[in-house]
Amino acid sequence: MSAGYIDEMHEAFHSDLVYRSEDIPLECSPKPRDMEHTLHGVMKLNGLVIRSLEEIAGRGANAVTYRAGKKFGHEVAKYFQKREDVEGALHELSDLLRGQYSFEVWKPEDKETFIIEENGETFIYLVFHDCIVRQTLRRNGLDQGGPLCQTLFGYVVGAIEEITGRKAKLEIVHTGPNACLKKLVLK
Amino acid sequence: MEIHVDKDACVGCGLCVKDCPMHVYELQDNVSVAVRPNNCMGCLSCHEICPAQALEHRGIYAARRHYIDIKVCEMLRKVV
Ligand code: SF4
Ligand code: SF4
Repeated sequence: MSAGYIDEMHEAFHSDLVYRSEDIPLECSPKPRDMEHTLHGVMKLNGLVIRSLEEIAGRGANAVTYRAGKKFGHEVAKYFQKREDVEGALHELSDLLRGQYSFEVWKPEDKETFIIEENGETFIYLVFHDCIVRQTLRRNGLDQGGPLCQTLFGYVVGAIEEITGRKAKLEIVHTGPNACLKKLVLK
Repeated sequence: MEIHVDKDACVGCGLCVKDCPMHVYELQDNVSVAVRPNNCMGCLSCHEICPAQALEHRGIYAARRHYIDIKVCEMLRKVV
């Protein structure tokens, strides 16, 4: 992955903001009029969740939501440029998710490269910053990591598969109120 | 990323040490110390778990918040 691409990503997620535990957010960000894309995304996603529920009812909530997300990912990514390289695919993916989710390629200090090989697996860590699923769960007082998160998993996997033509898997490593760490396993 | 632990507020419970997936904190003399701040990916789950509200992160990207109830905020503004 090129240094320019990584620097550009890191620049976008860096600020001089000081965040204290006791800070209470007093307003929505961004302003509601800037959220049109997000709202459209939610509406589309909900429609697909319902349709998929009808198709495979009884198979368990996670299976349903994962499938709905994956369909959405494949459907939307169909119109994007096909890429074989991971960097290109992640570029396409971040364009695709804009307005609903944002993510950054990430690595712990002790790793040399962003593409990590460990225990026979090749993967990339992705930190998801903006996420409509997390916002929805927190608005409703629900735990993170459950069926609704599976929609995002499916979405990312579907889109990556569509763009690269390769199989992929996404695993959750950690969830937080401000960001979540995920592992994109490349096959 | 700069992480500051308020030593006077920290009660040494070690919850942040256990919670952080990146092993950013260590307990030293019963106080949490951010020993690997560059490993922090800004999830802020440590803020949520710390009973003493002793933590402060600088240079963090604050995720967009879509779930704030405007009416509740108006009420809060009057008292905060
Ligand atoms: S914000 Fe997350 S990654 Fe950073 S120190 Fe806290 S728990 Fe660890
Ligand atoms: S969770 Fe808070 S009080 Fe407990 S050790 Fe960490 S900083 Fe100190």
